[in-house]
Amino acid sequence: MVDLYWRLHMEGDQTSLHRRVNSRGGFAPDAPGRIAPGVRDGAPDGFTHLDYLAEVALATEDAGLVGGLMPSFPHTDDPWAAAASLAAETSAYRFMIAFQPGFLHPVQAARMTATLQRATGGRVVFNIISGGGGPSQLWWGDRVDHDDRYDRTAEFLDVLKGVWHGPFDHKGRFYQVENAKLPDWLSGQPFPEIFFSGSSPAAIAAAGRHADQYLSWLEPFDALAEKFALVRAHSATPPKFAVRVDVLARETEDEAWEEIRHGWAARAARETEHGDSVGVQRGESFLAGAGDGFRDREVQPNVWGGFSELRDGPAFGLVGSYAQVAARIDELLALGVDSLILAGMPHLEEARRIGAHVLPLLKGHLS
Amino acid sequence: MSPVEIHVLAPTRFPDRPELPGFVTDVRPARRDPVGRAARAADLAGLAGLVVPFDPDGVESLVSAAGALRATRHARVAAEFHPAVTTPVYAAKLSASLQRFSAGRLDWKIAVDLDRAVARAQGDFLEGPARYRRAAEFLTIAKGVWTASSFDFDGEFYQVRAGGLRFPDAPGPFPRVYLSGSSPEALRLSAEHADVHVLDTADQEIPDLPGVVVGLRLALTDLDATEATIREQAARGVGVFLIDAAPLPDAAYLLGESLIPRLARQETVHG
Repeated sequence: MVDLYWRLHMEGDQTSLHRRVNSRGGFAPDAPGRIAPGVRDGAPDGFTHLDYLAEVALATEDAGLVGGLMPSFPHTDDPWAAAASLAAETSAYRFMIAFQPGFLHPVQAARMTATLQRATGGRVVFNIISGGGGPSQLWWGDRVDHDDRYDRTAEFLDVLKGVWHGPFDHKGRFYQVENAKLPDWLSGQPFPEIFFSGSSPAAIAAAGRHADQYLSWLEPFDALAEKFALVRAHSATPPKFAVRVDVLARETEDEAWEEIRHGWAARAARETEHGDSVGVQRGESFLAGAGDGFRDREVQPNVWGGFSELRDGPAFGLVGSYAQVAARIDELLALGVDSLILAGMPHLEEARRIGAHVLPLLKGHLS
Repeated sequence: MSPVEIHVLAPTRFPDRPELPGFVTDVRPARRDPVGRAARAADLAGLAGLVVPFDPDGVESLVSAAGALRATRHARVAAEFHPAVTTPVYAAKLSASLQRFSAGRLDWKIAVDLDRAVARAQGDFLEGPARYRRAAEFLTIAKGVWTASSFDFDGEFYQVRAGGLRFPDAPGPFPRVYLSGSSPEALRLSAEHADVHVLDTADQEIPDLPGVVVGLRLALTDLDATEATIREQAARGVGVFLIDAAPLPDAAYLLGESLIPRLARQETVHG
């Protein structure tokens, strides 16, 4: 079975890729026509980003997608806060919560997870990010260096799992606990599936030991296949593979590229802060020497590396007709991909569109 | 007598549920959240709010508070936690989202003086007065990143560089901070950081904490005695009552329908 996730826009949502303004969720207070919060009779209407996040989660469930990746950055709303808030009003949606081990003590992470597993009936999934690194880590108040952070992640997960199955004693480099355990009535629940991100050698080595699923941004398919091979080579038991893919699919290929053309013409130069992320550097390397036209970034048919110019996030995604996008997804599955995290702007309408027009066309990895 | 606020302590575990006779159709759904129904009851009953206690043998309070905020319209929801559970920046980040989601109804109750075995089981081996210094740094940083566009801090326990929440608008007010304790360290921390200093017993002396509201944790006995205690305590300046009232949700209705109207007969009560 293949798990198809959708993304949840913790940073607010754009109306389209035409304009880079997050008009949904209160991140652009002056955007005309803004929603959640909006304006009614000249005053804020009392709705919040959470109300719109709930709509997207419910649309995601209904579209045939199993849940959502909830990213966590300095400029986003917090995934633990949103998942805990939306537990009771969703029924199937899996909350893939992104977090860095440095945020929480592993005992606290175990307690929060067990509480949320209980509240959701076991719908918590982890996206463990060991950290983008660089000066931005000190924004979070995290002093641990890049490569040490993977050692911390390893110890964090050891303690978290130890507490989960506690009682547990531990004295390590980063953590110490004595007789740590969950209360009886919160223990015995399934431990969340772990999606593990990171493109550096330290990350790949750690992924081999701790990931249920190794999660990569979309890259040109050959590069992706090499990366998976590298992870397999570092793993006694290879993890599953997951890819995070933006999709822009329309009835015809021309309609899809027309959307891109609009956004490309209106794009503004921006500076982004990525610390010492190896994933970002890899993404840029695939586009070295590309021209200024938007089609210059189509590195192989329907694989386009300009999304980062039109919205926050990674560069690569799929652009094409419903049938083309479905065919490219089938090719990814044939590469050995087990899970996909799809995304589109706006997240609400595009979840419905992909559910209605692309998912039914998928043939699976045997195609 | 000045206005008083009535809050209740949320249950953090489920009460036992009896077996039904085998021939009775049983559609009882799995119980998922002991806090949510209690929060809804407190809200419906017009209480000022509820506090989700730190209970090592119960549900985690921040996750439960998030669900409680989503289930309520008016009630304030305080999550009690100790500083070692998270970094101060992450505590602020998570809480800022909850404030954005709830129109600013989240509060913090910071537990500092944990039992030694409980603290060690939570992974916290810091002891003695150092715990108060760490709590002070924790609150200074959380408040600092909440309001500052760029925040730097170098302390005994924490370091932050170029911090500061990156929402386009302020995410609402910083959570109201509840602290407690009677040691000199505890009172110094409250003087610096508390909005409400909570007394654990009715006979505790009212500390000299200018600008800090005094609260009292109180078990609900019978209504006459509880009413009398509240009047007595309000007369000496206690403004916030955290009532340990079991079982919830039932007791929330009792407070809303009976205690608050009684208190209101002679003075103003804020739910």
